[in-house]
Amino acid sequence: MKLRHPLTGAIYALQEDGLVRVEHEGATGLFRPDGSWHSGELCDADIHMIGWVGGPQLDSRGPLGSSRASGASRAVARPAPEFPRRAPRDVDPEGRNDMDLGLNGRKAVVTGASRGIGLAIAETLADQGADVAICARGEGRLEEAKKNLEARGVAVFAKSVDVGDGDALKAFVVEAAGALGGLDILVSNASGGAGMGEGAWQANFEIDVMSAARSVEAGLPFLSESDAGSIVFISSTAALEFLGVPQPYNAMKAAMIAHASDLSQALASQGIRVNVISPGPIYFEGGNWQMIQQTMPKIYEGALAQCAIGRMGTPEEVARAVAFIASPAASLITGANLVVDGGFTKRVAW
Amino acid sequence: MASLEPITPTGTGSTGISYQKLLDTDTRPVPEVLRLESARELPPAFVPIERYISREFHALEVEKVWEKVWQMACREEDIPEVGDYLLYEIADHSLIVVRSSEHEIRALHNACLHRGRALRDADGRAAELRCPFHGWTWGLDGTLKHVPCRWDFPHVERGSYRLPQARVATWGGFVFVNLDADADSLEAYLGELPQHFERWPLEQRYKEAHVAKRLACNWKVAQEAFMEAYHVVSTHPQMLAGIGDSNSQYDAWDHFSRAITPNMTPSPHVGWDASEQDMLDAMMTPSLDEEPVVRVPDGMTARQIFAQMTRMQLQALVPGALDLSDAELADSFYYTVFPNFHPWGAYNRIVYRFRPWKNDPDHSIMEVMFLSPFRGKRPPAAKVHWLADDEDWTQAPELGFLARVFNQDTRNLPHVQRGLHAAVHERITIGQYQETKVRHFHALLEQHVRA
Repeated sequence: MKLRHPLTGAIYALQEDGLVRVEHEGATGLFRPDGSWHSGELCDADIHMIGWVGGPQLDSRGPLGSSRASGASRAVARPAPEFPRRAPRDVDPEGRNDMDLGLNGRKAVVTGASRGIGLAIAETLADQGADVAICARGEGRLEEAKKNLEARGVAVFAKSVDVGDGDALKAFVVEAAGALGGLDILVSNASGGAGMGEGAWQANFEIDVMSAARSVEAGLPFLSESDAGSIVFISSTAALEFLGVPQPYNAMKAAMIAHASDLSQALASQGIRVNVISPGPIYFEGGNWQMIQQTMPKIYEGALAQCAIGRMGTPEEVARAVAFIASPAASLITGANLVVDGGFTKRVAW
Repeated sequence: MASLEPITPTGTGSTGISYQKLLDTDTRPVPEVLRLESARELPPAFVPIERYISREFHALEVEKVWEKVWQMACREEDIPEVGDYLLYEIADHSLIVVRSSEHEIRALHNACLHRGRALRDADGRAAELRCPFHGWTWGLDGTLKHVPCRWDFPHVERGSYRLPQARVATWGGFVFVNLDADADSLEAYLGELPQHFERWPLEQRYKEAHVAKRLACNWKVAQEAFMEAYHVVSTHPQMLAGIGDSNSQYDAWDHFSRAITPNMTPSPHVGWDASEQDMLDAMMTPSLDEEPVVRVPDGMTARQIFAQMTRMQLQALVPGALDLSDAELADSFYYTVFPNFHPWGAYNRIVYRFRPWKNDPDHSIMEVMFLSPFRGKRPPAAKVHWLADDEDWTQAPELGFLARVFNQDTRNLPHVQRGLHAAVHERITIGQYQETKVRHFHALLEQHVRA
C-alpha cells in the first residue's frame, strides 16, 4: 500500500516490517501504524494517512478486487460470424440440407426476455415461426421487444412481471398459455445476476431457482397437453467451474441444473423434455461484459483469454442452441446440460 | 415545542461547484427532494464545553431530552415473531420492546412491580414475562397474569399492576419509543422527513449489518463527527481527489437536518487538476504501485461510470434502479433526526445511532447499520455485533471498506474528549455553514433543556 497525500504530495508506503515510510521534500521518516515516530529525519507526518496506509487492511476493493486476472495473455477479440438466415424457400428442394426444427406454430414462453440473451431467444424462436410470450420487469424495453417480435409475423404476448413474485409469475404463465392457445416450450431465463451478501442469495434463489421451478409448476398442465413439450433452463458456466469469487449466482445456477435433471426424469413419461443451456461469457451492448470491458479491462481481457475460440459469445449464438434443444428436432435429448461457451471452461466434459 | 424560524438559505461560500449546479450535469432526471434547500434561524455558533463533559448536563439531558423525545429503538424486523423482544436502554431506563401480537409492538418498562428486578437480562423470545426472582408473571401486553402465593398479596389489585409502558410508533421499518405520555405523535415530530425518503423506502430494506462499539467520548462528540464533511480535509486526506467536501450542501428543517456531500468530484482543497481516473481512484483507494481495478472509459466521468456500475448491481434488487440519477448512486445524503438518529438517503445503506453509555458523559455507544435492498423473502436481520474496546472497526468485516474510514473518524474522538476536559476556554466554535447540522442540533438541544 502506497499513497500520495493529495495536499502535501508526501508519499506514504507500508513496509514489510509493518512500519510506514514517509517521504517528503527529500526527507524520510519511519512511523508506527499508530502514528508515532520510529526513526529518520522526518518526524512529523499526517497521522490519518499513516493510519490509513499502515492500519488493518480489509479488501477494500470488494469481490472484484480478488478476481483480477493476472498474467493472462492478451487475446484479440474476433467478431462473431454472421449466421446465415435462409428463407424457407431457399432450402434444398430435395430437403437433404434442411433440418426443420419443427418450431413453426409452436407456443413458447421466455422469461426475462426484454434484453440480452432472453430477447435473442424470443427473437430466434419467432424467426422459426413460434408464437412467443415474454415477460420482464421494465415496461419500456418490454414494449419495444414486443414490437420487434410482432414484426416477425407471429403472435406475441408480453407482460411486465417481477419474476421474483411467485404468484405474479405463475399468473403470467397461465395467462400466456391462454393468450397463445397452448404451451409447447418454456424457457426460464430470468436471473438476479451477480451479487454478494444475503440479499443476493435471496435474489438468486427467488429469481433464478424459484422462478424456474414455479414457471414449470404453472406451465405443466399446458406442457403435458403438447405433443412436443419442452423445458429449457438457462444456467451458466459459473455453475461448472470456479469463476474468481464465491457468489450465490454460481451456486443457484448449479441448483437449476440439478432440478432440471430431476424434472427430466420425472416428466419424461408425460412426453416433456427438460434441458439446460449453460452459456459462458456473452457480450452484448449494455450487458455486463461490456461494462467490465470498459471499467475493468484486466478482468475482461482475462476472461477473453480463457475463451478458446478467441472471442466471447453473442446472445444469438446462445439463442440458436436454445431453439434447437427446445425444438421437436431434439426429440431424444433430455436431462442434458449443453455448454455454449466457445471453450471458456477447461474441464473434460465427460 | 416552538419551531425554529425558516430563513432564506445563504448557501456555501466555497469557490467550488455548488451541489445544485452539479445536479445539472446528471445523466438522469434528478428527484425533487435533492433540489430542496432549507435553512432555519440558528443561534450563534458557539457551544459551551460543559455540555460535553458535565454530569449535571447529562442529568439535564436525561430529564429534558431522553425522557421527552421519540427515539429509534430497533428495526421492526429485529422482532419478527410474536414474543420476540429486545431491550432498549437509555441512561437508567430499560424498555422491553416486544412484539405483543402480529401487528402490535409494545415497550414495557423492564422492572418487576414486586421487588424491582429487571424482568429480562438480554434480548430473546418469550410467551410471557416471568420474573426470575419470585415468579411474578405478566403477559406480553403488560397485564399481570400470575403471582405465586396470591393469598399473600390481598393488597395487589390486578388491574393496577399492569407493567408501565412507553409509547411506540413506527416509520421506515424502524420502531420508535417515547417515554413521555404527552409528547406529540411521531408523525408530527418527523414532519417532512417521510417525503424525503419516498423514493428510497427504508421499510423495504433489511438490516444486513449492525455493529456497535463503545467510544471514549461524549455521545454528542461522537455523532458530531458524522454530521459534516468539513473534517475530510484533515481526517480522510486520501479521499480528497474525489470528494466535494467543502462543496457540500447543508439544510435544516424542524427536527431534522441533512447534509449532501458529492463524491467523485474534486475537493476545492486539491491544488492540482484531478483527472476523472484520480477521482474514481480516491473512492477506491488503490495503491500507487498497483493498477486501478476500475477504469474510467473515455468520454465518461467518474461519477457516471460509478453510477452506472451501481445501477447494474442494484437492478436485480431495486425496481427502477436503471432510472436512478447519478447523484442518488454516487453522493452521500446524511440526515440527522434529533436527537441521535442518522439515516442516510438513497442507496448508501448507512444508519447511525449514538447514545450515552449508561450515565457516563465521557463514554458513548456508536452503532452502524447497513440497510440493504432485497428481493423476495426478507432475509433475517443481522444481530448486533459488539466490538470490544480494544477491537477496531476492521474486526467487523461486514462493514467492508467503510471500517477503515470509521477507524480514521473514531481515532480523533477520545482525544476530543480529553481536550475538552483540558480546555481552559469555555466554549467550542462551530462553522457558520459547513457545521449547520451541529448548530441545528444544539439549537434544538438548547430548546429542550430550557423547556
